[in-house]
Amino acid sequence: MGKKKRSHPDVEDILSRPWCYYCERDFEDLKLLISHQKAKHFKCDRCGRRLNTAGGLSVHMNQVHKESLSHVENALPNRQGLDVEIFGMEGIPEDVSQQHNQRIIQNFYQAQADRYAATGNPPPGQGSKNPPKKLKIESPDDIKKRLAEHRARIAAQKAAGGAPTHTPPLVRPMARVLPRAHLLAHSYNSPFPPPGGQYPGFPPQGAPGFSPPPQYPQGGFNYPPSNLPSRPGSNLPAPSGLPLDLASLGDHIDQMIRDLERGEAAPKSATPATAEEPAPEKKSKKDKDKNVRMVYDDDLSPEERMALMPRYAFVPQAV
Amino acid sequence: MAPTTQFELAQPPNDAISSLVFAPDAPTRLLVSSWDKNVYLYDTHTTSENGDAEGGVSHGTLLKTYEHRAPVMDVCFGADDNEAFTAGMDWEVRRVDLESGEQTPVSKHTAPVRRVVYSKAHSLLISASWDSTLHIHNPSNPSLTPLTVTLPGKPHAMAASPSKVIVAMTSRLVHIYDLATLAGALESQTGSAPPPWQQRESSLKFLTRAVAAMPSDGGYATSSIEGRVAVEWFDASAESQARKYAFKCHRQTDNTAAAGTTDVVYPVNALAFHPVHGNTFASAGGDATVALWDAEAKRRMKVYQKFADSVAAVAFSADGRFLAVAVCPGFETGMEDYSGEGCTKIVIRELGENEAKGKGAK
Repeated sequence: MGKKKRSHPDVEDILSRPWCYYCERDFEDLKLLISHQKAKHFKCDRCGRRLNTAGGLSVHMNQVHKESLSHVENALPNRQGLDVEIFGMEGIPEDVSQQHNQRIIQNFYQAQADRYAATGNPPPGQGSKNPPKKLKIESPDDIKKRLAEHRARIAAQKAAGGAPTHTPPLVRPMARVLPRAHLLAHSYNSPFPPPGGQYPGFPPQGAPGFSPPPQYPQGGFNYPPSNLPSRPGSNLPAPSGLPLDLASLGDHIDQMIRDLERGEAAPKSATPATAEEPAPEKKSKKDKDKNVRMVYDDDLSPEERMALMPRYAFVPQAV
Repeated sequence: MAPTTQFELAQPPNDAISSLVFAPDAPTRLLVSSWDKNVYLYDTHTTSENGDAEGGVSHGTLLKTYEHRAPVMDVCFGADDNEAFTAGMDWEVRRVDLESGEQTPVSKHTAPVRRVVYSKAHSLLISASWDSTLHIHNPSNPSLTPLTVTLPGKPHAMAASPSKVIVAMTSRLVHIYDLATLAGALESQTGSAPPPWQQRESSLKFLTRAVAAMPSDGGYATSSIEGRVAVEWFDASAESQARKYAFKCHRQTDNTAAAGTTDVVYPVNALAFHPVHGNTFASAGGDATVALWDAEAKRRMKVYQKFADSVAAVAFSADGRFLAVAVCPGFETGMEDYSGEGCTKIVIRELGENEAKGKGAK
């Protein structure tokens, strides 16, 4: 099954985005980052000149305006220093870079977990085999109702004087399923509780809401078998789909696998990254012959054009 | 309140301005030629009693107007502050006595006269007309038969340095004449025009719009309709010619266009060198801005805040303290009904001590 293109970028994509040391903003490409830095952090507030680095701005302020630069404009409080020489992604201290990456990763998984929690979608790679959308969790009321039906049935059987030999196979699956459903609805502690032990405790819980349905169908023997076989299949994968910690663990593993896959592709993706350096240069050259509109484009001068207008035209008298 | 460094002149011309020039001596005497067929003489720094009552927003006094038969394309001062010469659409070059208002035709071309310059040192009046000729007069000796120099193209801009006159024509032609040679040829009365001292091709690919000469006599600057200015030197030696350069200016980036960004290129309508800081020159563009440049250091020194409309002309006063800016709508390609009526203004800017002083080459 091919990987589906998602609107949410990979953590890898986010990590590879160029970002600004001074304000932690990230950008589509290096060119944008550099122009951002020139405009926001390295711009002279006296004359508007955009320098390439904080050091350059400092020298400019010194020489041109006879002032000294004390800090970098628009920077985060702990990033205002002039001691680090930053140009684009160059010059970012290792520890700051790692902090940034960690923050990105943390935010990414937080956002991802929030998204899964909000949409109920499974983490990638786990939802295809057992889509938990088919999972039906019976509410306690449903379970009580079914239990009541079951009891009514047994009671009816007993009342009919039928042999109780049929009940154990019926009760057993019920006993196994019901506590689990009950547990899933309340706490996810134990996925496989001992079937026998839980059953006796159940009726008292369900008892208050219990009322034997008077419309109980006599052909009720068909009911439990039709319902039961579907349950184990849909119930078993539930733990992987529901608990959030497990989900993100699964995603971590998923991510690790992708990291490994990417490890091979990394050198390939690195080459375009380095090739990106000259690319903005070329683009800016192209920019030079971008659309140009001349306000006046004519072989005649504006004055000659104006002289042709009746308003200004001079008709020499016949001499 | 901070001292007003910039103000609008009261009673501006009724229509677009073709040229403005400060007097050679008095720093507040300003002549303006207009498409409304008048030449205006202002004193930029006296406020008349009957000036408008809007709390002194307007300054200066209109001293006199000199009506012509047709739009006036250019004006220059003559030998003193009371003599002016005008270039008219009516093919005539006129001498105007600014005191009496008396006008005397000096020369007649066979097409509108585009530019007129006067060289005090050589007592030469040179007029350039779309009939592709220069007429050269000595106004102080009217008995001399004027000299006619035939040009290879229609002249559009002309400027005189202390010893040269630069004529920029269509087809990117630039001729430089030596004033002393022209004066000698006029004196000799042989009627034969001397060849140009130098013939050049413009450094700019588009139609030349303006020329200004360095007061130092070192070189000149030209500008074109395609937002560009070139600076070059008279000296024909290889190293001097290697110094010449051109740069883009008076452009705006338009991001509103549907097809991405568009560079809107305005014509550079006028150039003027600073009489004191000779390396500084001003450029005036159709983008409604005036910029100061340092020709030596190849640096822009200043861009003034946008004016209300395209800037048609600029001039520095003789002492370099004032900058006159002619603001009126620019003529753009495809215009059918141009009119500068009601939109024409003259802005006088008082320059700060070092505002126009360059830093010199680095």
